[in-house]
This record gives sequence, structure tokens and C-alpha cells, in this order.
Amino acid sequence: MTMSFEDLAMPLFPSLYGYARWLTGEAHEAEDLVQETYLKALRGFGSFRDGTNFRAWMFRILRNTFLTSRSGLRPMEPLDDEAAEEIAEKGTPETHFVNRANGEALRRAIEALPLPFREVLLLSDVENMRYKEIGEALGIPVGTVTSRLMRARRRVRAALEGMR
Amino acid sequence: MTHLNREEIQRYADGELDDAAAAEQHLRDCAGCANAVVAEMQLRRAVRDAARMMPADAVRARVRRRLFGSPNTWAWAAAAAVTAFVIGALLSAGTVGTLTSARELADLHATILASANPVDVISTDRHTVKPWFEGKLPFSFNLPELAGTPFRLLGGRVVYAHGQPVAYAMIGKGGHKLSLFVAQTALPARGMRGFASVSWRSSGLTYVLVGDVPRSDLEQLRQLW
Repeated sequence: MTMSFEDLAMPLFPSLYGYARWLTGEAHEAEDLVQETYLKALRGFGSFRDGTNFRAWMFRILRNTFLTSRSGLRPMEPLDDEAAEEIAEKGTPETHFVNRANGEALRRAIEALPLPFREVLLLSDVENMRYKEIGEALGIPVGTVTSRLMRARRRVRAALEGMR
Repeated sequence: MTHLNREEIQRYADGELDDAAAAEQHLRDCAGCANAVVAEMQLRRAVRDAARMMPADAVRARVRRRLFGSPNTWAWAAAAAVTAFVIGALLSAGTVGTLTSARELADLHATILASANPVDVISTDRHTVKPWFEGKLPFSFNLPELAGTPFRLLGGRVVYAHGQPVAYAMIGKGGHKLSLFVAQTALPARGMRGFASVSWRSSGLTYVLVGDVPRSDLEQLRQLW
């Protein structure tokens, strides 16, 4: 069965919008970004190969559109503390249970994440993507997905700990 | 197996660990690692609950109209309804503060059904599924014979809910997939967000059935125990 672009793409609208909202931090920009994404995807749909991951393809277009947009062109925060964090990750993990009731603090912690961490966390935990699919959407290896996700969660945990 | 390291805990909680069986073997005996896994899963769920943002219907309609012209309202409404239903089951709609553990089962049901590998043992034979749980859980439970009924067993796995290991079995009826959860302590099953559920206690265990079918179907299934 061949599905039309509309049939395939429109069910992704809530997901794409939610992701755009987190990237742009603003409702109107998010709406424009999603619309632009759909237009680009529609134009490029001929080049989309059956059997590849459509959702990852759409997220990839959205992200590339964002990165070349005005707000996406802001300089990226450097990830210069990777070495220090790697060392911390070697040890036996401590267990910190998260208070699920604290949604506002959690949202602030996610907002504060550098983009490379934020996007991996959102695609994994909110969009429920597999590491492989996240890698396809972001154009990075699965190993990088794993380590960025680890650091993203570590930072979120630390931010919530700091609030206590 | 030795203790799980940070990465293994993360990968296990995310369903990305290659040798999950060995990890489960260890998690059964090691409270420290099991707690770390539960904490990781909790954080994952908390992020999902806190970060999910839904567009207003008007936004969706506006973009759709600009892209595709006058809407095929019917099909779109149907797709939206399905999406809203699934997402409705998954998110806390901004009311994270009122999120009760009661909804965890509805969450789990929806999440498991949506996942790429919903069950770890795939079998329609209860004589395969039941023994698979042995050694993975601190209790054993009953699965009824489903042959000759409208129901069929699809498979099983171990999940964590309310901080304890819980047996999970997937049961099919027609095109629907139902979830059976079995645990040693009570599993609150109120507030299932649109899913039907039936629960009962038997031999010291709590059984909960969850599904998007009429409650009478679940009652019918429950009678088989």
C-alpha cells in the first residue's frame, strides 16, 4: 500500500511541534518551523526512499531547518567539560530518585541543557525513539547518542538535586 | 554478572542493552542495581511527562490548511483522534503534580504496545511463557489455557512498576492487544485514562488486566483463571 505524504506526515504533527517548541522556545517560531519542515519534506518527498525511517527523516529536516534559521544560528555552547564528566561516569552509580511531581523544575533543567544534550534527551524520552533512530535523525553514531543521553540525564539530575 | 555500570543501567532502562537477560539475572539479586534501573526509568518518565508539549487543535488545523488546502476533515479528525488517544494515555497533560502511581499501569500498557520489541519471550504457548518467568521473578503465577477462547497469548516480559518487578503478559483478542500485570503487592488500577481495567487478588498476588476493549471482554478473560 502506498501512502500519501499527507497520510504519512500529518500524524507526526504533535511530535514535530513539541520538538520545535523545545528547540525554539517560542510558540510562533515553532509553528513556522514545523510548517517550513513540512514544505521542505513535501518538496523532497520524491527523494525519500521507502524502507528508510520516515519519522527520523522528518525530524532531521526539522532540525536542519532550525539550525539554518535565525535563532538556530546562535553559537552553540561548547561541550568542553566532556573529559571531566567521562571520569565521573566510570564509578558505580549512585541512586537518586526523581520527584515526578516537580515538573516545573524539570522543564527548567531541560531548557538549560545545551542543544546537543537537549535534543537527544527529548527524542529518547519524549518521542520514545530508539538510539539508532535518534542517530539517524541527528546524523550521529549510536555511541554518541548513548554518551550524550547519559550526560543529559546527569545534568538534569544534578539540576534537580541542586534545588533541594 | 558483576554490577551494572552507569551505561549499562541506562541502556537497560532504555531497552537498548544487548544482553538484557544477563542483566536481569543480576538485577534479580542486586537491590542496588535494581534501584538504579528504577531511578533511571523514573527520570525517563518524568522527563516525558514534563516535556511533552501538545499543539492546540487550531495550530494543527492552520498549518494543515496552509499546506494541503481545504482539509479532508474526516480522515484528519480520525487520525487526530487516534493520536490524541494514544498520547492522552502517555502524557500527563501538564498536570504532573497530580500524577498518581495509578496511571503507571496505563502508561506501561501504552508504552509497551508502542515499543518496537514489546515482549521478550514471544510465544502463544503458556507452557513456554510461564517457565520463562522462572528465576526472573520472586514469585510464580498462573496463566490460564486460552485455546478455544477468543483470547490468545502473545508473549511476556518483566517490567518494573511501583518499584517492584512485575510480570507482564500480552494477550490478543481480535485486533486488540491486552496487558496482564502480575505483582506481589497491590497495583492501584484506578484512573486508567480511557483504558478498561479489571483487577483481582489471588494466592497473594495482584492481577491487573488493561486494554482498549469493553470491560466485559476483560471480565470474560478474568473468568478463565
